[in-house]
Amino acid sequence: MPEEKFNFTKAYQEVEEINDWFQKEDIDLDEALEKFQRGMDLIKKCKERLKDVQNRFEEIKKKYSIEKENQGEEVDPKDIPF
Amino acid sequence: MPLIKEDVNQKIFKVSEFLDFLNSLLVPQKVIVQGEIGAKMAQYPKFTIFNLLDKDNEAILPCFIWRSKIEELNIDLEEGMEIQVLGYPEIRKPKGEFRFQVERVGLVGEGILKKQFEMLKKKLDREGLFALEFKKPIPQFCQRIGLITSKYGRGAKKDFETHLESYGFEIYFYDVRVEGLSAIEDVCRAIKWFNENLLTCDVLVLTRGGGSWESLRPFNSEEIARAIFASKIPIITGIGHEDDETIADLVADVRASTPTHAAKILTENWKLASINIYEFERNFPSLMNRIFKNTESAIIFFEDNLNKKIKDEIFSMRTKFEEFTKSLMFHFRKEIASKRERLDNLLERLNLYFRNYFEDFRALEKEFIRNLLWIQRLISDKKVETTQFLNKLIKNQDLWLARVDRLLKQQREKLIPSSPILKLKQGYTITFNEFNQIIRNLFKLKPNQMIKTKFYKGQILSEIRKVEK
Repeated sequence: MPEEKFNFTKAYQEVEEINDWFQKEDIDLDEALEKFQRGMDLIKKCKERLKDVQNRFEEIKKKYSIEKENQGEEVDPKDIPF
Repeated sequence: MPLIKEDVNQKIFKVSEFLDFLNSLLVPQKVIVQGEIGAKMAQYPKFTIFNLLDKDNEAILPCFIWRSKIEELNIDLEEGMEIQVLGYPEIRKPKGEFRFQVERVGLVGEGILKKQFEMLKKKLDREGLFALEFKKPIPQFCQRIGLITSKYGRGAKKDFETHLESYGFEIYFYDVRVEGLSAIEDVCRAIKWFNENLLTCDVLVLTRGGGSWESLRPFNSEEIARAIFASKIPIITGIGHEDDETIADLVADVRASTPTHAAKILTENWKLASINIYEFERNFPSLMNRIFKNTESAIIFFEDNLNKKIKDEIFSMRTKFEEFTKSLMFHFRKEIASKRERLDNLLERLNLYFRNYFEDFRALEKEFIRNLLWIQRLISDKKVETTQFLNKLIKNQDLWLARVDRLLKQQREKLIPSSPILKLKQGYTITFNEFNQIIRNLFKLKPNQMIKTKFYKGQILSEIRKVEK
């Protein structure tokens, strides 16, 4: 299976699901082993993502253009009495 | 193209050129002016003209405003109202008159602002802009954040960024005015920009620091409310202090009370996850261990149990088998005895019946033979008797014939005198009607009816003339 792009939200939710699954009463050993390995693998990846990662800031440079709001409404100048 | 001073002094303008020159200086002066609306407002369908006054100095600023700009206020402009106008000055060339072109009106005074606020709130509520069903969910783990606030504000940007802990957030900051009339346009443009250019943002944070109720006015505007509602990216607002509630907060998908609170909301889940993930890491092996142990003890238990169960099962089966065999034999014996008894009874009864039948049969046989002999004798007796009678009959044949002949002759002689032929011979006639019926009386006869009269020899047809009764 090709390595898909790591998605923290999905991974974390899956870890939570596995944790819930382990709380069940009747557990199949083979399935448990599989889930355990998958869970530990995801935990490792999540931990890496949660390591102190500096936030990145970027200011958006606006191309500020003055648009006259009323350009759309043209009225005959004679209608305006001053 | 503004002319430099030297050029202006030397140049001789035409009127139109001069007015254009003045306008080129005036129009870029986008300013906010506060004053009171004077009397003699001129309201037209598409625009309104009014004077803005300075009561103390008796100064007058003629203003022009499009009707649509007044409608945005949700309150009509009235004489005596204190307002702020945002716009630019301009000289109208055809009449050479000065006017202030109003782009936006702001109401002044807490009373009127509160009234405007309540009216807008009611209107948007009716339209459903605050409805829960339209709130977009904020992703559990937001990474890409669009931040809309002022870099000059009273620390809103700093507050937000400081409380956003280091979880690798990508913050795209869009600087806007957050106070005054131009803030509305700025904020709307920013929301639109993110929706058009950076749709991959998980969330937009619209925030500003605390201030007076009046200073939060832009966030009570209909334009910002509609821009927030139209955004495809979910929006968290963190405006002013905890107690401040703006229209923008009501429309937002999530309302944070302050910029700091907004940062905390976004950090919260990451923080929780970074605690939980270590807990999961600790727990998973022990959970797995527990499953191993459970499985192991279950196997041992099964093993012990299985041996015992098999033994028990075999013993119980053997006992059951023996009991079954015993009971089967008993039943067979009982059944055979009962069957034999019934068979004996049956045979005995059968013998009795047969014996009786044989005796009856013998008696019947004897009687039958007796009757047969009697019938034989009877037949031979009758045979003799019949032969004798026949002989006797043949012998007397002639005698019988003579007697019969004589008898016939006597009878004929008796009959002759009453014969109708004799009567005819003697001269009598017989009369018939048309139906050949003998006429014995005259009742049914009518004149003109045909009648037939028979004689000894021949007959006549005649018609009746008269009936005499």
